[in-house]
Amino acid sequence: MSAAHDIAVRTQGVDISFGSGETKVTALQQTEFTARRGELIMLVGPSGCGKTTLLSVIAGTLTPQAGTVEVFGQRLDKMNQEQLTAFRRKHLGFVFQSFNLIPTLSVVENVMVPLLIQGVGHAEARRRSLIILEKVGLKGREDGKPNALSGGQQQRVAIARALVHEPPLLICDEPTSALDKDTGAQIMEMVRELSRSPDRCVVVVTHDFRIFRFADRIAEMEDGRISRVVDDPSTIESQHHG
Amino acid sequence: MFRLALNMLFGDRAKLAMLLCGLAFSALLMAQQTSVFFGIMSWTYTPVVNIRAHVWVSDPMVEQANDAKPMRDTELGRVRSVDGVAWAAPLHTSFLQARMVDGNFKLITLVGIDADTFAGAPAELSQGRIEDLRLPNTVIVDEWGAQLMGKTVKGADGKMHTVALKPGDVFEINDIEARIVGICKVRRAFTGGPFVYSTYDRAKTYTLGARRTLSFMLVEPNAGVTPSELCERIERDTGLKAWTSDTVIWDWSDRSLARNTFWWFWKNTGIPFSFGTAVALGLFVGIAVSGQTFYSFVLENLKYFAAIKAMGASMRVLAGMLVIQAVTAGLIGFGLGAGMAQAIGRVMIEKGMPPFVMFPQILFATLMLTMGISIVSAIIGIIKVSRVDAATVFRG
Repeated sequence: MSAAHDIAVRTQGVDISFGSGETKVTALQQTEFTARRGELIMLVGPSGCGKTTLLSVIAGTLTPQAGTVEVFGQRLDKMNQEQLTAFRRKHLGFVFQSFNLIPTLSVVENVMVPLLIQGVGHAEARRRSLIILEKVGLKGREDGKPNALSGGQQQRVAIARALVHEPPLLICDEPTSALDKDTGAQIMEMVRELSRSPDRCVVVVTHDFRIFRFADRIAEMEDGRISRVVDDPSTIESQHHG
Repeated sequence: MFRLALNMLFGDRAKLAMLLCGLAFSALLMAQQTSVFFGIMSWTYTPVVNIRAHVWVSDPMVEQANDAKPMRDTELGRVRSVDGVAWAAPLHTSFLQARMVDGNFKLITLVGIDADTFAGAPAELSQGRIEDLRLPNTVIVDEWGAQLMGKTVKGADGKMHTVALKPGDVFEINDIEARIVGICKVRRAFTGGPFVYSTYDRAKTYTLGARRTLSFMLVEPNAGVTPSELCERIERDTGLKAWTSDTVIWDWSDRSLARNTFWWFWKNTGIPFSFGTAVALGLFVGIAVSGQTFYSFVLENLKYFAAIKAMGASMRVLAGMLVIQAVTAGLIGFGLGAGMAQAIGRVMIEKGMPPFVMFPQILFATLMLTMGISIVSAIIGIIKVSRVDAATVFRG
């Protein structure tokens, strides 16, 4: 496979700023970021360094003011809102910090959402959702409400929802911040296991150094830029422990 | 997604209950108040319903059915001579005081009908025979009047009870005896007074020989002549005013006495304003409560809608979800409100007060207005969801 084919996500010269005049805040400036197919890459850095903004750009929910964004060979910066919506529907899976499970729906109905958005029939969506719920260890809990589950179980539901439509790009925003150490480790183990595929890329934004060891590479951000990319996560993890 | 939208709606029971309360209350107020309004307005043209005739003829200055301007008896001959008239009968109506046996006075509507043909007689008697009206000093009283003018007696339980009048009982009109020979079933009048039927000639006696006693003439057209055509001929040949008697509210003609009575009361009383205010209030309360509740429902679910939007749901799908939720709530709210209005109506009809007429059109209009409230609520929600940034899902 050529180097170009190996690239899952690439941003070049991306600028994003909010506000104007004296209140102008630059979130990303000339940001260069690359993620490869088959890898789990983490975006780390202090609060306000632009991690979430970069994640939004990669997810197609935020359009950069300058620069290019390429995800699995498609230029997001050239797409209109309708095309971006269709792109997200097909290519992206999301795991959010606060789970964002709809409390009035059952567990399986929450997992069905991405499939139903794609137009998959209700029965088929339920069938596929039950399969993935079994994979995340929630067989038997499918008809309960999310609020009846523990934090770790809710995040498993969120992972099932993110992967049920088999998206090539999985975006995780602080997936362990609401979980204790052991549960966080279990969740990351699951993310790595379920998402491990030569055609899938996982981008994780996190503050939680305890999960750095699950990354293939770690990109550190500072002041809206990628300051360095570490190929051996253990080195950066030991810095935080040290 | 629409099934999930409904599950989202029904999953939040407290919010749903609030939403349904607002919509149901609004629908109830609109349907119930409008039905009472039309009930009261239908009472205004009660004489046309009770006194059945194809054509009514009156003094040219008469504006409505309760507004009798007496004519000379000779007018009857002029009307009978008009081409196309099969027969014409005199009718007297007037408001008089009746003196009960216990000395109490009650306001009554005296109706004097032709003793030969009984044209204008009540359609149904629950007691007695119409022919007995030909006996001296006899009257027929309606059921409401029999109850209203009844005797108050002390019961075995020590409490006072009203015993309805019955055939054989006697009261007085202008000091002249009125012996009851029958009880009839007729629709109640706007004025609230009971109907007392006598013959036309005896009515003259009860009014103490008033110079003019011919209030209306009841006319039957010849075969092949429509009431409208006959009205035109009578007006052309006699200079009197002629009316048709159609009472179907959505199909009555310009010449209808009922229609003209309805609109007279509409223009000259505060009834439409009073009920219109209540209906408008119901609408505004419905919009305010439902709009506010639905808006807060949308606000509470906004982060989930943002998440669904981030996952790739188009605005069309999200708008569809909100419309389905609002329309479903609207339909249930309408059903509850209209059902309660019907139940209240049943009780009202049994008690006879206040009058209650729920046309299918009222239900349809209430449904449309309730759906309008729901659609407005949905639009408010759609605007809010359309403005939410999908990127907010990454902001914790």
